[in-house]
Amino acid sequence: MALLRFASLRVLRGLLTLWFAVSVTFFLVRLLPGDPALAIASPTMSEDQRQQILADFGLDRPLAVQYVTYLGELLQGNLGVSFRQSIPVADVLLERLPWTLILTGSALVLTLLIGLPLGVLAATHRGGALDRFIQVGGVIGQSLFVPTVGIALLYTFGLWLGWFPIGGAIDDDVYGLEAYASMLRHLVLPCLSLVVLQIGAYVLTLRTNLIDALGEEYCTVARAKGAPERRVVWKHALRNALLPTTTLVGLQLGFLVGGAVLTETIFAYPGVGRAIYESVGQLDFPVLQGAFVLLAAAVVVANLLTDLAYGLLDPRVRAA
Amino acid sequence: MSGLSEELTTAVEPAAGPTPASRTWRAFRRNPLGLVAAGLLVVLLLVALAAPLIADYPRGYGEDVLAGPSAAHWFGTDHLGRDIFAQVVWGTRTSMAVGLGASALAIVLGVAVGVGGAYFKRLDGVLGLFVDVMLSLPVLPLMILVAALAGPSVTTLVVVIAVFSWPEVARVVRSQALPIVTLSYVDAAHVMGAPNRWVLVRHVLPAVSPVIAVSVVVTASRAVLSEAGLAFLGLGDPSSWSWGTILYNAQRSGALSSSWWTAFFPSLAILLLVVAATLVALAYNDARNPRTRQDGTR
Repeated sequence: MALLRFASLRVLRGLLTLWFAVSVTFFLVRLLPGDPALAIASPTMSEDQRQQILADFGLDRPLAVQYVTYLGELLQGNLGVSFRQSIPVADVLLERLPWTLILTGSALVLTLLIGLPLGVLAATHRGGALDRFIQVGGVIGQSLFVPTVGIALLYTFGLWLGWFPIGGAIDDDVYGLEAYASMLRHLVLPCLSLVVLQIGAYVLTLRTNLIDALGEEYCTVARAKGAPERRVVWKHALRNALLPTTTLVGLQLGFLVGGAVLTETIFAYPGVGRAIYESVGQLDFPVLQGAFVLLAAAVVVANLLTDLAYGLLDPRVRAA
Repeated sequence: MSGLSEELTTAVEPAAGPTPASRTWRAFRRNPLGLVAAGLLVVLLLVALAAPLIADYPRGYGEDVLAGPSAAHWFGTDHLGRDIFAQVVWGTRTSMAVGLGASALAIVLGVAVGVGGAYFKRLDGVLGLFVDVMLSLPVLPLMILVAALAGPSVTTLVVVIAVFSWPEVARVVRSQALPIVTLSYVDAAHVMGAPNRWVLVRHVLPAVSPVIAVSVVVTASRAVLSEAGLAFLGLGDPSSWSWGTILYNAQRSGALSSSWWTAFFPSLAILLLVVAATLVALAYNDARNPRTRQDGTR
């Protein structure tokens, strides 16, 4: 029962976050100086033409009416119409979303697969040369500018060594298994960029948590009972150290998505982030707004899943 | 009873010897990495202040297009033949200005919300929820939307970055302030009839000031990264150079694939600034913490 209560509270909070994200963007777009009406209706048009265009996009009605209409349309999956391409924003973005999900998802999985053993290594060799090396690497990794990493990888492995393609997500004329291989080859560099950027936070957090856990009395007891150190680390300490590290996934999701926007721009990867970059140049506000709402929704859902996993793993969280 | 009062008086007695601040400073000076990092920050600050003395403002077109680093152009030239060294020097100015400006604004907002939430229990629920919601949103796409709407300028960048950076400050400050407001000297101040403002300014703020100091540095370096990111996407101030703008030009013009220096030097500048800021923050934390200070005093 406690789990159900916990879960429904989290779902409520996710919905609140989404509503907030949607409302903030709606009012920002309409109240900030860069008037979307001006962006589509140029001053050289005749007054009739201008009114016609504003009416087509529903921009002539009172703000409150526009807001309610917008929310209603949103519930039906309608994100408005792109100013520049005259097609629904949802169509533009939903075609892009899978690529962003593939990129960020694979980056997250790879980060955890590499980061967790590194964190364990650093914690078990505390104070040694390896630990220092991992710590310094972690600090530098967190300080890197996203495009710097992308450009460096693109330069080294794409242009110089020629191992991987330098842009796009898939070759044009490939089918079946070859298509998957092509996707994978295109994914390597952008995915690695995101791994490099994120891994420091995970390694350093796990290291701290694991060192704390190894100092706990239950670890001393396990050692006193004659358990080998390997067992103490992996069976006793790590399980407890992983719990607070799970929270980090939630905190880092927003950063991961931001990193994806920049990485996709560099590698011309056809995800939502690249769409954002293209829309910035064209001042296509409905696409920018829709992209943010979509990414926020993705983050909220992913956050919810981590929270629920955390609740399943740790009974104390449910009680709180 | 007499034992307790004795304990109280000795606790109030000022500690003999150097003040905590001077002890922290002494420990900080013994950390070579922290000193080098602090020196680097000072140098970058001087470069930002003295930009007009170091290099001419890069403008117009040059004769050597995409020339590699040489004696004439230390960092090479870009696709219009403009000197990249000059761009990086002037970019330091914009990056520093946006970083410090946004950080200052975010700190004020974040400390107000963080301390307010910890101190006024009735506000804590609402403020905490608000901070959590803000923290879970993908900030960069939101900054992009706002910067695109408001039109690119240094002021826009400062405000946009600050408005979406304060929740992190609020979270850190709140968690530091929470145990403070339950301490007996805060209760004692209330019992003596001190107004909230006085308790906040005299007791709570000084206790969280070390966290604020670290936050200033960390937030500023994050703001520099955000500014560079926005400029890289074409949302930089068109009338002033920034490190992100140099990278944006390199990417836009395709110079990136043939001329590594167009991307390398601005990237290096960003890296140096952010790593230096991170190391200073870490060294300060270590120097302040008696457990890691290793000078035998607590």
